[in-house]
Amino acid sequence: MRSHQGKCGYLRLDGYPSNELEQVSDSGIDKAFLKDQFPELIDLSDSHHASRSQQGDLLTLIELPQFQAPQHAGLTGMDPRVKNQLEALQLHPDRHLHFGRDPELPNKDTLEFNKLESFSLSLNASVWDPPSLNTLWFELVNGAYGDVYRAKALMNLPDGRSMFFNWIVSQESSQFLPLEEISAPNGRPASLSELVVQGKHLDGLRIQSTIDLCLLNDAVLEMHQMPLRDRQKEAIPST
Amino acid sequence: MNHAIISCLHANLPAAKAVLNDIDRQGIDTITCLGDLVGYGPQPNEVVELIRKRGIATCQGCWDEDIIDGLNACECSYPSQLAERRGHLAHQWTDDQLTDENKSFLASLPTSLRRDRLLFVHGSPNSQHEYLLPDMDAFAALERVETAGADILFCGHTHQPYVRELRDGSIRVRLQNADHECDQGEELTLPMRKIVNAGSVGEPRHGSTNATYVIHNDATDEVEIKEVPYDVGRTCQAIVEAGLPKVFAWRLSHGFEFAEQAEDASHVCER
Repeated sequence: MRSHQGKCGYLRLDGYPSNELEQVSDSGIDKAFLKDQFPELIDLSDSHHASRSQQGDLLTLIELPQFQAPQHAGLTGMDPRVKNQLEALQLHPDRHLHFGRDPELPNKDTLEFNKLESFSLSLNASVWDPPSLNTLWFELVNGAYGDVYRAKALMNLPDGRSMFFNWIVSQESSQFLPLEEISAPNGRPASLSELVVQGKHLDGLRIQSTIDLCLLNDAVLEMHQMPLRDRQKEAIPST
Repeated sequence: MNHAIISCLHANLPAAKAVLNDIDRQGIDTITCLGDLVGYGPQPNEVVELIRKRGIATCQGCWDEDIIDGLNACECSYPSQLAERRGHLAHQWTDDQLTDENKSFLASLPTSLRRDRLLFVHGSPNSQHEYLLPDMDAFAALERVETAGADILFCGHTHQPYVRELRDGSIRVRLQNADHECDQGEELTLPMRKIVNAGSVGEPRHGSTNATYVIHNDATDEVEIKEVPYDVGRTCQAIVEAGLPKVFAWRLSHGFEFAEQAEDASHVCER
């Protein structure tokens, strides 16, 4: 997307529950992160923008939760209900690739599972103690709360920054990306903050209780933010 | 003559027994313990009583100190809010379990032990809470050993065993008078000093679940870091059964190299 010269779009399609596989509700993390990185991003799930899907130079990232391999290779393996959703937007796929089957995609990302659990937690207005966040993430992706295949989050730090955390079991390390937009160090931020975890034998209660130990209360948050506000005042030149 | 140095037992009885058995098998009868007999682990009384029964010379660790004095350390003792809150949970649990007699024993421990040119401390000569990390600034490390008047400083606290030789040390002093004229400087060349960290018996964090300790030969000054396997699963089960945070068991069962560290690990609490 960064190297694309034209407009960029984003589309999140609904998945279809089947074979008792749990579906993940859309946390909005990807959209929020992409919107931060590409402020001109066109949200194609917004009906006002749907007609723009035919813009010739539009590069669109389409997300679809799908927890099982397709039965057939190529376009015939594509769920007809997904095809219908795309056609409603006048989008006609010419290829359909799947991890673990098509050599164009890294086969390390193949995940063998019969049942996937998911855990999500809204963290809006929450601010983390940074070293505690570091520990929680290390414990989470290394299996302290169950076998984690996938985890991503948007987390707020006391200095106003938000970070995108991204973990895939087959990758060697997590991705930590700062968002461009920085909140003023003045109380709790209004930006989206959320944690989503997928895996097996997840202990959501323990994840939640550990997170509770990591979040800053109002008094401690103010201790972090007051010096930042003072520095900002000093930086404003007097007239 | 060989002598053994153990540290950071952290109420882990199977690990403590395994290490003492390993030392006994080698016929070593001089053992020095660098403290932290309790904290995080599920058998605080049993470990304290084992050390008392064996009559092992022991100095006081940060956990031993906090159990006696209460948690009046400033927040700098913990590298994160999470570590602090978990530490408080473990502290409260340990405080509830320990008998008065064992608390009195911990209170009686000295902060350092000295044998000729060898100094034994838990954290550093400055404080039981100070971390002497293996990559600590060489001048600061040399200063800790030199000002304590030791040739070899034995410490623990980091849970990562290491031997660090400080060679070719020198301290240069230059005085400047009020007219900003420099007097002749003086340079003091120091002989080699050594810092030996014994790692941890009860909560290893060196990339393996094995307990660690060191053997020092006081004739040759050779140091050997020893690793001892023990029944980690048994201790983990006891942690869970005791109602301590499950993450303590998880951490122990992996022996991760990862350890939380304060931003300035050499910061000394001045409470």
